[in-house]
Amino acid sequence: MNDDAELLERIRNGATDDFAEVVRRHQGRVYAILHRYERDAHKIEDLAQETFVKAWRALDQFDGRAPFDHWLSKIAVRVALDHLRREKRRQNEIGLPELGDDALDWLRSGDEQSELDGRAAAELLDLAMRELSPLDRVVITMQEIEGRSVKEICEATGASGVAVRVRALRARGRLRRALEKLMKGEHEQTEIEPAV
Amino acid sequence: MSKRKLNLLFERARNEPAPVPPEEFAAGVLHAIRHEPPGAVMEAPSIFDRLDLLFPRIALGAVAVIILCAVLDFGLTAAGMPGLHDGLSQISAQWLLTPDEFQL
Repeated sequence: MNDDAELLERIRNGATDDFAEVVRRHQGRVYAILHRYERDAHKIEDLAQETFVKAWRALDQFDGRAPFDHWLSKIAVRVALDHLRREKRRQNEIGLPELGDDALDWLRSGDEQSELDGRAAAELLDLAMRELSPLDRVVITMQEIEGRSVKEICEATGASGVAVRVRALRARGRLRRALEKLMKGEHEQTEIEPAV
Repeated sequence: MSKRKLNLLFERARNEPAPVPPEEFAAGVLHAIRHEPPGAVMEAPSIFDRLDLLFPRIALGAVAVIILCAVLDFGLTAAGMPGLHDGLSQISAQWLLTPDEFQL
């Protein structure tokens, strides 16, 4: 059974257990999308489960015109967006996580080619992206990290092409300012350290 | 923060591997959906979500209305007709307290 359409048809006809095969085939892709918006592994698992449950509920709406993984990706992006909106409301209550030394050293360094691994880069971006609105964050992440086209972003978010371009431009500006703020904050800390 | 450095940051973040789903993940999803029929309607987006998606069209529409009013007011004033400002003054005088009534 190697075709999604055949598998989905069986599920629609009552073979509920076959949905586990759908999950196994696409869970990697869903995890890959969601971990761009959430760092906690347990929360990613919850969000991935929410994505598949929503896909299950909406299975009748999948018409097969686009590949199933595109349709599922759109649901994952919507789940991520809802999650970011909820987190945005709680952001001030939970405080900000601390950045690792590697990320701060790279940020402060004048040498752009200095070492920074993927994890540290993602942590740095995650912190800076908290300055963005949830939709701006999704747009810039899809465009710059996932390499999606404007058309794909429009389909996933429901925003117009103009809105996506405006948001991407605005998000880049805000992100640069947020990173500069992080850099400046660290400088201020090192300046006051000797006096403490 | 230079544009080049920001692009480099995106590039390095892109290389971060995604976490691997636990072995029993598919079974967990199956357990969650077991009692639900497929095809139930998805939650409708809230009014705020819809307004958010209309950006920047709403902002452009608001600017267009403001410009239209300003041009209309300017045109009416230039033509010697009572403009929007005069109209608002009349309404104000008719329905609200006139300056005379404030005199102590």
